[in-house]
Amino acid sequence: MAPPSAAGSTRAGARPHGDAAAPGAVVVCRGVTKRFGPVTAVRDLDLDVRPGELLALLGPSGCGKTTTLRCLAGFERPEAGTIDLAGARVAGPGVFVPPERRRVGVVFQDYALFPHLTVEANVGYGVADRGRRAARVAEMLGLVGLADKARRRPHELSGGEQQRVAIARALAPDPAIVLLDEPFSNLDAALRGRVRAEVRDILRAAGATAVFVTHDQEEALSLADRVAVMHAGELLQVGTPAELYGSPARRFVAEFVGDADLVPGESDGVRVVTALGTAPVAGDAPRGAVDVVVRPESVRLRLDGSGIGTVERITYYGHDQVIDVALGGGGRVRSRVGPGAAFHVGDRVAVQVVGDVVVFPAAGTDAPRR
Amino acid sequence: MATAAARLRAGAGAPPALAVAAVVTGAAFAAPLAYLCWYVLGLGSGFVELLRAEDVAGPLRRTLALATSVSASAAVVGTLLAWLAVRTDLPGRRVLRVVAPLPLVVPSFVGAFALVAMFAPGGLAESVLGIDRLPVIEGFWAAWAVLTLLTYPYVYLPVAARLAALPPSLEESARALGRRPAAVFRTIVLPQTSGAMSAGALLVFLYCLSEFGAVKQLRYDTLTTAIYSARVDRDVGLSLSLVLAAAALAVAAAERRVARRRVLTEAVAPAATTLRVALGRWRLPAVVFTVGVVGTALVVPVVVLAHWTVRGLLGDAELHAPDLIRPAATSAALGAAAAAAAVAAVLPLAFLTTRYRSASGEAATAMVVTGFALPGLVLALALVYLVLESPLADALYQTYGLLVFAYVVHFGTQALGAAQVAVGGVPARLDEAARALGAGRARRLATVQLPLMRPGLLAGAGLVLLSTMKELPATLILAPPGTETLATRIWGATEDGFFALAGSAALVLLAVSAVLTYVLTIGPAAGSRS
Repeated sequence: MAPPSAAGSTRAGARPHGDAAAPGAVVVCRGVTKRFGPVTAVRDLDLDVRPGELLALLGPSGCGKTTTLRCLAGFERPEAGTIDLAGARVAGPGVFVPPERRRVGVVFQDYALFPHLTVEANVGYGVADRGRRAARVAEMLGLVGLADKARRRPHELSGGEQQRVAIARALAPDPAIVLLDEPFSNLDAALRGRVRAEVRDILRAAGATAVFVTHDQEEALSLADRVAVMHAGELLQVGTPAELYGSPARRFVAEFVGDADLVPGESDGVRVVTALGTAPVAGDAPRGAVDVVVRPESVRLRLDGSGIGTVERITYYGHDQVIDVALGGGGRVRSRVGPGAAFHVGDRVAVQVVGDVVVFPAAGTDAPRR
Repeated sequence: MATAAARLRAGAGAPPALAVAAVVTGAAFAAPLAYLCWYVLGLGSGFVELLRAEDVAGPLRRTLALATSVSASAAVVGTLLAWLAVRTDLPGRRVLRVVAPLPLVVPSFVGAFALVAMFAPGGLAESVLGIDRLPVIEGFWAAWAVLTLLTYPYVYLPVAARLAALPPSLEESARALGRRPAAVFRTIVLPQTSGAMSAGALLVFLYCLSEFGAVKQLRYDTLTTAIYSARVDRDVGLSLSLVLAAAALAVAAAERRVARRRVLTEAVAPAATTLRVALGRWRLPAVVFTVGVVGTALVVPVVVLAHWTVRGLLGDAELHAPDLIRPAATSAALGAAAAAAAVAAVLPLAFLTTRYRSASGEAATAMVVTGFALPGLVLALALVYLVLESPLADALYQTYGLLVFAYVVHFGTQALGAAQVAVGGVPARLDEAARALGAGRARRLATVQLPLMRPGLLAGAGLVLLSTMKELPATLILAPPGTETLATRIWGATEDGFFALAGSAALVLLAVSAVLTYVLTIGPAAGSRS
């Protein structure tokens, strides 16, 4: 596990107020706050979306990611902060541009196709220029591969086809940005993988800038160019999938993105000593009692009658298997091993962590340290 | 219903006993209409001559004029109220949602009576408001006003349910695609609610075609009043009845077609948070309109009836408790009998149509729906001549049995709808589990299915009870001599000018049916009547 560069980690972190936006950013949010009665759904959010990128807003339900999306679309009006879209202020003190004048494309979780209109009428609905409408509809339906379904009604299409119509409809008016709310949650698992790839290809082919909301970390990591992790209304970290996974800035990010176990340890700022041995720590690590983030793929097991761990459970996935190991001194870790490795429940094993590790102070603050 | 659908796909054959029961039920429901067609068509060319001689065109034209104009105004009023109640920040919209459907409670003959009684000598207009030149309340406009105020809930309820179920994402999508709120309303909201609106308007049309009590009292001659006048002349009465029946069945068929189309073209949100429009400067006009409509439909009749009741109690007019208690008891007993009989009659059919794919079940269902579409007056008259003409059945004439049969045929569809929901609500899995545990058909019915269906069946029975208590024309024609229900008591007292008696009986009827309506329709309708 290579430590990320210093530059990478600052870019990955949440930005302080007033920071200059990335050049040419399609969306610039500064200090956006949205309350519903006593509940603060989004708190002081700073976020940039770069041209042509696919950005995921990732977090558990209720973290404020959908509210953020709705603020971008103009369905919600933030109480504080500013939102600039394609260089123009759309929300801020004394400014609020309604959704119909924002040039945003929105793809809803339920697709929200107009059931009383045909596929082509749905796609053409947002194209203001009547003369250009038919050509644009044909172009969009060609892009999503549904040219032969133009005269159908939405209820005659499969779930995946309905979603592609929704995307075509959102792209047709040539929006500055496309917003997708949990776009794949309505599809069954077997279909999801293929549809994700299709949707990414369509958005790329259209050269669209897009933000999608998801609670599925695997979806975010596999699909997005950059991922913004939200928790309890706050944006914790923005970065590429590799940055988030390899250098989580916050304990929540470490636990939410990918599988991780936290093992107690003692740090001297350079190395950390744990029940699993000693591992190097990169950068400016805290001293004293720490929690060590251990990814299953960096845990090596070896059969050893006097080892520290005992195999508790084996979950077999085919391409690999995950071994749950109870540690002698309390706690447990998981190890991802090859499909051929022959462990049995009750085996004593020696446990070793390979590569660099990320640590957080053991208790109290959840500050980004490494 | 997923499990039931699985059964349908599996193509399990229906038990023969169920199929036989369904055929018998269907035949019984079809009998009055079949007899009517058979008899009138048997007249041959005499039928056409008869219609010409009776000048059927006039009453038919007046009937259609009334039904068309009431449907249109009820559609406007009901839709506007629904939109105000569900989609705006109207003050008091929660209260509105509870009271707006309540005019359903008021039978048309009570509504018409209240209007007449208000402007009668000694009524509210004269003695309280001090109007000394009393207008004559009758004719088209009076009937139109009364029926609009009483029937708009048939539009309000489906449209309100539709508006509440409309996914916000549809309108938000339209906004994001660049349309302003007014354009979104025109291109999305209206097309998405027009099905509910036309279905409701067609029900209002059907209601107006069958309407008898109000138009008779307000002296607006329609087909029903013509049939009533001709009731002792079999050829004329039945010929006019067939004309009215044909119109009613055509409207009912149109309603079914609209309902079928709606399934495919309407988006329904599972649990929508509805979008609200701020009324702004339209707030005051909206409140005035709402209070005006609902107040006139509900408060005015109650105040007028109470006024006459109080006058009766104070001794201006004769008012004795037994005059109310006996008819009320008769109404309740007849209603309960009709409710129980209706549920029992349609239950096998509900099983057949919900659990199996069956042609005889679908045909029988169509017959049950036909029984509802047939105006009560037509149904009663056909039944009278049917039993009189049948050598074995003529003993049924003027019996409670025939009256209850008429109620069952007329309101059986309400019991069927509720029973189908109840049967569909029992997962087939539970039946299979009981079967695997060794329970036979009878034991499964008694210990698993009926207990689980009980609330649904009771709701269906309650709807039949409610409708029966408010029914007038069939009761007038079929009730055994000397039998008085609340409805016929009110009717008789009105005809004879005993306003105090009519007013107090109407108050009792309103109170009973308000309670029943609230428990059965308005509570459940809050979210799920689309």
